[in-house]
Amino acid sequence: MNEIRHSTLEGRTPKKLPKGVKVIDVDVHAHETPAALIPYCEMPWRKSLEVVSTVAERYLDIPFFAPQMAVWSPPFPQSGSERRQVVTSASQMRKDLDELGIDIGVIFPDNLLLLAALRDPDYATAIARAYNRWLIDEWLGEDNGMKGAIVAPSQNPIAAAEEIRHYASHKHVAAIYLPSCCVEPLYGHRSYDPIFEAAQETNLPVMLHSVTAIFPVFPFNLNCFSTMFSAHIVSHGLSMVANLLSIMETGVPARYPKLRIGFSESGLAWVPWIMMRMDKEYKERRRELPFLTDLPSTYMRQMFFATQPIEEPENMREMATILSLFGGEQSVMFASDWPHHDFDHPNKVLQIPVTAETQRNILRENALRFLKLEERT
Amino acid sequence: VATDYVVAQVEDLPMGTHKIVQVRGREIGVFNVAGRYYALPSNCIHQNGPLCRGSVSGTVESSAEGGWKPTWVREGEIVICPWHTMEFDITTGRCLAEPRRRIPTYQVTVVDSEIWVSIP
Repeated sequence: MNEIRHSTLEGRTPKKLPKGVKVIDVDVHAHETPAALIPYCEMPWRKSLEVVSTVAERYLDIPFFAPQMAVWSPPFPQSGSERRQVVTSASQMRKDLDELGIDIGVIFPDNLLLLAALRDPDYATAIARAYNRWLIDEWLGEDNGMKGAIVAPSQNPIAAAEEIRHYASHKHVAAIYLPSCCVEPLYGHRSYDPIFEAAQETNLPVMLHSVTAIFPVFPFNLNCFSTMFSAHIVSHGLSMVANLLSIMETGVPARYPKLRIGFSESGLAWVPWIMMRMDKEYKERRRELPFLTDLPSTYMRQMFFATQPIEEPENMREMATILSLFGGEQSVMFASDWPHHDFDHPNKVLQIPVTAETQRNILRENALRFLKLEERT
Repeated sequence: VATDYVVAQVEDLPMGTHKIVQVRGREIGVFNVAGRYYALPSNCIHQNGPLCRGSVSGTVESSAEGGWKPTWVREGEIVICPWHTMEFDITTGRCLAEPRRRIPTYQVTVVDSEIWVSIP
């Protein structure tokens, strides 16, 4: 199906990239099929993957593996169906990123975006471990600009911390991916402390990343909407908001002061909104958050935010204003989300009228500070 | 140049109490915190509420040294604005939620059982 479709990137390399800036893309996606993970999976869950690999695969939606369950609104032909929406090898990814003008890509999974929806903690942990082995083995073996995010199974924070410590010294492991779609409880819960402890200890940043699903946990109880239009907005944006509020509640950024926290695939306009709302509320309810010693915005200004899916006002100057509201010049990182349906070509981000320095920060320097690639290699 | 005003007699302000006084048209809170006297303008930096008409309390803190356990501390040293619960350190005027901001504090002296406040 998708694999035989060709890329549509040829001849579209961004022309306005500033000279000499090697772009870092903090969110690209590798396609891990259940079949691909079988040889990397421990028993008895390998048997489960053998069963799952016979199930028909839809885009980011595989029963027993990536249960999106958002299948009740009428579908229409999508532009993505004319192009390849999966990348199945590092060499294919390298070729695509070259067409996009990108030097370094940080790899996240496709189907494991839904990992937190799996209810059996042992099964979920086994799949996460299989994915991490596969990622290291098949994607991060060469010095070709591929960096990886180790997946942390939220269902088993102790095992997640072990995975982090196990892979942290690999020179192409650059981040820890926290599955945020359907995660319960939210990431501020004290049971996740081992993950944050391991992240801080190993000097790896954590990146929250969600995806669309309909599931009876906040904010994925989206049966109140009738369209993917609404479900997609809420699934990504409010998942970031909910998890950010949760980690503020228990003081994660205060308790792990060296931990670097990033938020992916929700655009940027939500950031000043929640920042201002938290500061407002904090003035009245500071005693509920005794872990913090300053306004929530002070902690948020230490966090990082990926651009995609970038908001597209008619006048992109408005995005420069949005950035200025939360110090985004120092914290926003370019992300394409390639090859997904709503990927952003660098052309769009290059339309934001910012200074050459800020542009360079967004395209590379902020990601360098987030990933600390230079310290790690 | 500051001017000194008598605002209360010592016996009118026992330990742990505070009172509102009017000086030169300004509303001022005078506090007895564990035997020491403090005076603050009764104007909250938040929305200009009557800060010192609020209650005196302690607050909740949590730190690495204490294992991040929320702890009730500083009983009697915090005044809470009656409008929106903004907390202020009576002894320094510092705003707890916004540690870079504070309200002014007035110098207080006791002379012959009279409490004097120095208003700039």
